[in-house]
Amino acid sequence: MTGGRELDVRGRILRLVAISFFLVLVINLFIMQVPMHSHYKDQALENRQERFRVRAPRGRITDRFGTILADNKYIADITLPRSTMTGAGQDSTLVRLIRWFELDSEKTMSRLRRQFQKSRGRLVLVPNATIGQISTVAERARQLPGARIESRSRRRYLAGPLTAHLIGYVGEVDPADLDTSALGMGYRLGDIIGKQGIESTFEERLRGRNGMKLEEVNAQGHIVGRHTVWVQEVEPGQDVALTISLPLQQAMADALGPRPGCGVAISTRTGEVLAAYSYPSFDPNLLTVSITAEQWNALVTDPAKPFFHRAVQATYPPGSLYKPVTSLAALGLGVVDTTTFLEPCLGGWEFGDRYFRCWNHAGHGEVNHMDAMVYSCDTYYYQLGLSMDIDQLGAAARALGLGERCSSVFPEESAGLIPGTAWYDRRFGKGRWTRGVLLNNAIGQGEILTTPLQMALLAARLASFGEVPAPRFVKDPAEPVRLPEPLPFSRAHVSWVREAMYQVVARGTGKAAAVDSIRVAGKTGTAQNSHGEDHAWFMCFAPVARPEVAMAVIVENAGHGSSEAAPVAGRWLDTYFGQSEDTVNLIRSDEDVAGEGRRP
Amino acid sequence: MNLLSLLLPPGDKKIFLCWLLLLGASLAVLWSVTEPILGPYEDLDPVVAKTVFYRQVVWVFLGFGGLLAASRVQLRYLESIAIPLFLFSLVLLALILVAGPRIGGAQRWLLIGPIRFQPSELGKIATILMLATTLGKASEQGARLSVMVGSFLLTLVPMTLVLREPDLGTSLVFFAIWVGMVFWYGIPGILLVGAGSAGVCGIISFYSDSIIHQPWPWAAYIVVLVVVLYLVRLSTLARISILLLNTLTGVGIPFFWSKLKPYQQERILTFFDPGRDAFGSGYQAIQSKVAIGSGGLFGTHYLHGTQKGLAFLPERQTDFIFSVIGEELGFVGAVILLALYLAILLQGIQIGSRARRPFSRFLAVGIVSYFLFHVVVNVGITTGLLPVTGLPLPLMSYGGSNLMTSSILLGLLMNISSRTFDD
Repeated sequence: MTGGRELDVRGRILRLVAISFFLVLVINLFIMQVPMHSHYKDQALENRQERFRVRAPRGRITDRFGTILADNKYIADITLPRSTMTGAGQDSTLVRLIRWFELDSEKTMSRLRRQFQKSRGRLVLVPNATIGQISTVAERARQLPGARIESRSRRRYLAGPLTAHLIGYVGEVDPADLDTSALGMGYRLGDIIGKQGIESTFEERLRGRNGMKLEEVNAQGHIVGRHTVWVQEVEPGQDVALTISLPLQQAMADALGPRPGCGVAISTRTGEVLAAYSYPSFDPNLLTVSITAEQWNALVTDPAKPFFHRAVQATYPPGSLYKPVTSLAALGLGVVDTTTFLEPCLGGWEFGDRYFRCWNHAGHGEVNHMDAMVYSCDTYYYQLGLSMDIDQLGAAARALGLGERCSSVFPEESAGLIPGTAWYDRRFGKGRWTRGVLLNNAIGQGEILTTPLQMALLAARLASFGEVPAPRFVKDPAEPVRLPEPLPFSRAHVSWVREAMYQVVARGTGKAAAVDSIRVAGKTGTAQNSHGEDHAWFMCFAPVARPEVAMAVIVENAGHGSSEAAPVAGRWLDTYFGQSEDTVNLIRSDEDVAGEGRRP
Repeated sequence: MNLLSLLLPPGDKKIFLCWLLLLGASLAVLWSVTEPILGPYEDLDPVVAKTVFYRQVVWVFLGFGGLLAASRVQLRYLESIAIPLFLFSLVLLALILVAGPRIGGAQRWLLIGPIRFQPSELGKIATILMLATTLGKASEQGARLSVMVGSFLLTLVPMTLVLREPDLGTSLVFFAIWVGMVFWYGIPGILLVGAGSAGVCGIISFYSDSIIHQPWPWAAYIVVLVVVLYLVRLSTLARISILLLNTLTGVGIPFFWSKLKPYQQERILTFFDPGRDAFGSGYQAIQSKVAIGSGGLFGTHYLHGTQKGLAFLPERQTDFIFSVIGEELGFVGAVILLALYLAILLQGIQIGSRARRPFSRFLAVGIVSYFLFHVVVNVGITTGLLPVTGLPLPLMSYGGSNLMTSSILLGLLMNISSRTFDD
């Protein structure tokens, strides 16, 4: 039998053991709850607070009357937390949803696995969910811990291909751009950014600022807090109003028809672009959803080049549309006056060992300056060209806005080309080119290149005696009105050119552009090009007495401007002047306001 | 004898007071667990139903009956039925392995009408009584190794059966009870050294085999042990025994490890590296620590615990109820709770030391061992000191079987004390 003394010793040891164990527990509790308290408190807060990024709604894009051209369509995704893929075994929420929505189990799992590896956010189980799917998740939330309905917006282009080149389109930020931080701050993978056109140029204004909020969640990921803490308020994107009018844009598309080409119309008083349509176009709505690689390749490699923004990006020889420029240069130099007869046209002009043909092989006979313009006699203009030097002709072209970009909205806009001595020296070498280039330049051929927008601007400048401001695509009160330099031509000479252009439509090559009861002034052109059939050109403004609109039309490889391009302009002008009183008043009245503010 | 004295159990009043306070605390915490969280939240339903609270109220009354009965029963009568009771509990433990319902992958319960009963709880009482009887009788002839080994083999039977349920935590309770009672019986110093070195050896062996998968730490330990044994003055038999014990442990641990269920292996591995499975078994350990740590000195206040209320804390009404106390009542509340348990233990040790009959002494020490192991291991788990294994906090955790067992054992302690002091 163990003695009482021994028992006392064991009792003491046992007491010591018990007290030691409890001491360890208490010390450990103390460390956790006193010095490390704030660490665990933060962790507890982190546990129940989830950061939600709230995307700012992108600003809408409208036409000049507020008709919506691009807006956001809200769609809902059904998402799951990332723990769905990390937990042991199958997630009950996922299993239920797959069964209820009758999804393909294997395909869904591999899709989620890919998402899990690629992104850091929640997993999208059903993108663009149907109303039925959304209500299932909302009603049975209790059985679906972790599942959440998250709305996001998709860009919608209501006018589709009609305004595609102007508005452009949006897409997800290119991950490569994120790495190089070539973008502004605040973009994350999966964010939407303007990729082309107005969407891209006005990205900062349209984009707004994304918000960040903290929500309290429970262990199942359901939002439970009554309070939402906004770390960063959402600032919605601002709307952008274009200067175009949707009906006039539609009229331009109808007038042109499905032929590669372009039509641009601008207000001669404000420089606002009323219509700018390029064909072929593309449907930007296809690009905002997940487009397949084949579809994308088909668009990019399409020989018709649907992405090509012809109004500002394409350059063509202006052909006879250049003749008013040559006339103004010659009149300014005093080598001819408005009634001068030159050598008669016998179907061409010999210079050096080359014979330069007039388009009318039979010849125009003896013509004065006016008739040379009205009937577009090349022979007359060859002689005008030879009466000046290349830089004098170029200076006249530049004074009228050619050879430089006329707007800053589109990075793809081309400056065109008005060649001078320096350019030819560079191209062919000093002394290795002759005044022969002047013959081509005088009729808008050779190396000269212009964009359709520049041609519309040329018509507007002639119509407004050079006072039309730089072309504008966006009604932006913040953007200063860029007034041009005064024309270096006498007002009488410009008036004479305007009269000549009126005669072109009244009795010359531009008869097809005539409109009932409105006097139209225009100029036809047929631009030869090395790639194929001639391009048909036409530019005009109307009404002659008090011009309000100017336009340029080109139909690629269509042949003569008089028969192919002038009728397009005529059809569009018909619509423009045949509009309901309301619309016309709207266009005219705000032009008048802008016009008055502009005049000293 | 009036009615009040009939309802008041005889014996140590401090223990009865601790029992009352602990059950009061338990009901208060269970009320909180089943209440919607207070604060700026929508009216969230508590994930744990209110019925948990009301059921436990019923169990408290039943437990009081158990305590009352245990405090008044004749100890000699208990001694006489210890062996049949032990055998009966073994039959039940074996029975549920054969025919018990499988609930949540485990066979731990016996269904009697609407009541779920855990035979392992009866097993704990029966094993304590059985060991108290055998060791009490043997202690009159002085300490013998054969008795120690024999009593261990006896304990091994319920231990193994419970381990097969599977329930690692509870099976270790049996081992802890045996260790405490055999210590009371008298373990020679050399055996303690042997057992201690075997324990160290076991940990190193586990580390070599399961964590780094290389044998050299264990091999190095054995080399060091041989050198130490050569230098220390010991009998050849002792040297050989210790070396043999260490070798057996070193080989046995990997073998035992391979016999563990994958979820048990996972829990132990996760204990060494909680980040290993942040959403699985490591989740409980992390969330429990966060809840307790965020309580701070005075807690988030009763009913205001967010980790509890938002259900981040798993098993908060049962095995992790201590985390709720740590969160809502803070360090102060947790220490007061631990003090109540320590008071029971110290009182129990005193009762064991002073008891006149050997059976009573061993019974008291067995009960102390039971509470010491349950409380230290449960609190150790919730505070991240020990790997997660299912083990309730006596008198606090929701659950009838454990409440009944703990109440009966405390009733027995009071019973012993009343007789000691009456004599």
